[in-house]
Amino acid sequence: MGIIKKLPVFLEKVPGGGIVTTSLDYIFSQSQASSLWYLLFGTACCAIELMATGASRYDFDRLGMIFRASPRQSDLIIAAGTITKKMAPRLKLLYDQMAEPRYVIAMGGCTVKGGPFYYDSYAVEKGIDHIVPVDVYIPGCPPRPESLMEGCLTLQKKVKRLKMQDWS
Amino acid sequence: MDREQLINYIQDKFAGKIELLECGRVEPFFKIELDFLKEFCLAIRDDATLGMDFLCNIGAVDTGEQFQVVYSVASVKNKIRFDFKIFPDRENPEINSVIDVWPGANWYEREVWELFGINVKGHPMLKRFLLPDDWNQGNPMRKDWDAPDFVRLPEN
Repeated sequence: MGIIKKLPVFLEKVPGGGIVTTSLDYIFSQSQASSLWYLLFGTACCAIELMATGASRYDFDRLGMIFRASPRQSDLIIAAGTITKKMAPRLKLLYDQMAEPRYVIAMGGCTVKGGPFYYDSYAVEKGIDHIVPVDVYIPGCPPRPESLMEGCLTLQKKVKRLKMQDWS
Repeated sequence: MDREQLINYIQDKFAGKIELLECGRVEPFFKIELDFLKEFCLAIRDDATLGMDFLCNIGAVDTGEQFQVVYSVASVKNKIRFDFKIFPDRENPEINSVIDVWPGANWYEREVWELFGINVKGHPMLKRFLLPDDWNQGNPMRKDWDAPDFVRLPEN
């Protein structure tokens, strides 16, 4: 994000440059929010709801969300399902492979706080926020497609607020 | 061969060495002495009437006081199945491998070794395959196991 991040710094010195910056901000954030491509990453039963949301009845595509099979092409991980301690380094690896700006949605009770595996489990990570930063939490076991879409709309709202300077 | 016939046949064949356990199941459940395991397995496999040619499962139980290792066997040819148990020592648990009898026992015994820490004598490759690669917290299925982030279900 080298040049784009520095762009506002130069533009704001020019008279009237602020208009360009805010317009660019608007264009960039709108286009980002309208094409959040998510990584195909389903580790348990939440993935079934994710598939149902992606299929024609709920039609994720109308939010501009299309699944990608490679982390290099995706903007978003929807962590759908239980993350075990064995899976945690893989989730971290996939997150690190994504290009910035990148977002994470924790879908379902397991990814929020361990869910039904909170007690008496030696194998399940108690919340994926120990591993990757999470933008939106969606509780439920599993959440219905409506909840997932609500979560994605919330993430879109968050993305639309971002300015160019915020990009890391 | 129905249940009664099967119980009588096995009890006659291994008289004095095995014991029938009451557990309310359809399939009979036997208790085997620890040293008798290998001999028993070979005998039930090679016996013409029984012919237990398939090992369904090996599981282990930790009751807190003792370990139990449960073997479920079946005969595809004679359409019978039954289970038997051995009771390894709690302090220094060790069982004999039955890979020579049923090669399918390989991964079941590795699982028992990995999760319960029951040593399997004569196993060709006791390597970890279920827990994470950098696991250093012992055998999690034991009743007295504990870890820093392990939360036990509160009573009631």
